[in-house]
Amino acid sequence: MSTRGTLGGVFASAAVLIIGWQIGAAALGHPATTTSTGPTGATAGSGSNGAPTSGSSGSGSGSPASSTLKDGTFTGASVQTPYGEVQVSIVVASGRISDVATPTLQAYDGRSERINSQAVPLLKREVLQAQSAKVSMISGATFTSRGYLTSLQSALDKAA
Amino acid sequence: MTAWHVFSTMGTVVSIHADAPIARHVLREVEGVFAAFDRRFSLYRPDSEISRIADGRLALLAAGAELRNVYELALGWRSATHGAFTPHRPDGVVDLSGVVKALAIRDAGTALDHAGATTWSIGCGGDILTRLSDGAEQTIGIADPADRRRLLTAVAISAPHRAIATSGVSERGEHVWGPRPDFDQVTVLAADIVTADVLATAILAGGQETCDEVTATMPVDVLCVRRDGEVVGTPGARLALPA
Repeated sequence: MSTRGTLGGVFASAAVLIIGWQIGAAALGHPATTTSTGPTGATAGSGSNGAPTSGSSGSGSGSPASSTLKDGTFTGASVQTPYGEVQVSIVVASGRISDVATPTLQAYDGRSERINSQAVPLLKREVLQAQSAKVSMISGATFTSRGYLTSLQSALDKAA
Repeated sequence: MTAWHVFSTMGTVVSIHADAPIARHVLREVEGVFAAFDRRFSLYRPDSEISRIADGRLALLAAGAELRNVYELALGWRSATHGAFTPHRPDGVVDLSGVVKALAIRDAGTALDHAGATTWSIGCGGDILTRLSDGAEQTIGIADPADRRRLLTAVAISAPHRAIATSGVSERGEHVWGPRPDFDQVTVLAADIVTADVLATAILAGGQETCDEVTATMPVDVLCVRRDGEVVGTPGARLALPA
């Protein structure tokens, strides 16, 4: 139980870091300047495309918004937290961050050892274009037969 | 999914999908499962066992074993959720509808399994139980609490989760009681449909505090719509949609 609690704490920390990262990215329009876990540390990894990260893009919020990021996958320095080590990597495509991951923690994210964390705000881009999702079942607050008449599920059932 | 069967029961509608046609007698059996729970546990039926308990014609302890077992199950969940989920209405009436629909879905799934169906899903009033092949996942749409004709988002359900349930303020007057200070809608993914359904109700009723405790201590994922419209979720409830 204590192990589980610790891992949950780690995951919660990572989630907070990721969200912080994303929020910072959105706020500044310049993602690489926002957190200490970015590709600026002394142990920063190299980009998967061979592009060195070298911390060059991180110069604070005063940096010009027009500067762009190099494409590639960049792994940031490890950061010690009360719950363990957290390391963040980002994927940059066309000069913009397209993905953020925490490779250090992925080992703990196995389904067999599912660790939950507090529910955290989902990124806006995750709550997107749901209308185009291909689904055959809808979960929603109880569809009464009356409510069902106006529900998506009834439309799906008719379309089957 | 190639086979599709829809029928009305319990004041709502059941949709069954399967990857192969289901024999008619199996579908009748599944319908019978829901009908039996409906007869025994529906407060809107004046002659149901639960209605006779509600109006004093029948003592709870004199009720049939099946009803008492369901009541015991509900009391267990009341303890597990520190009262956020409860089978007792504010007026004291015992209302088991918070678990009965899920139990019917569970038993219907068992009937499909026994009949040899290997890939199926049962949706009843917005709660869904799936049986998927190993490694498979199914994308489930989540209704927008502000507009039922729209999807809010979609989530992927895969092992170990098999069930998803959603509670929302549109259930007001049914079986959700409490101040609901924090969320307009709560979706829970869990290994079984009873857990998913009960915890969705409990988090809606108990708000953030219950949400925090559930996600810290139980192997479930949650997706909640806060009253301000923001959507929050645990990592496993993140979305099935391509970025």
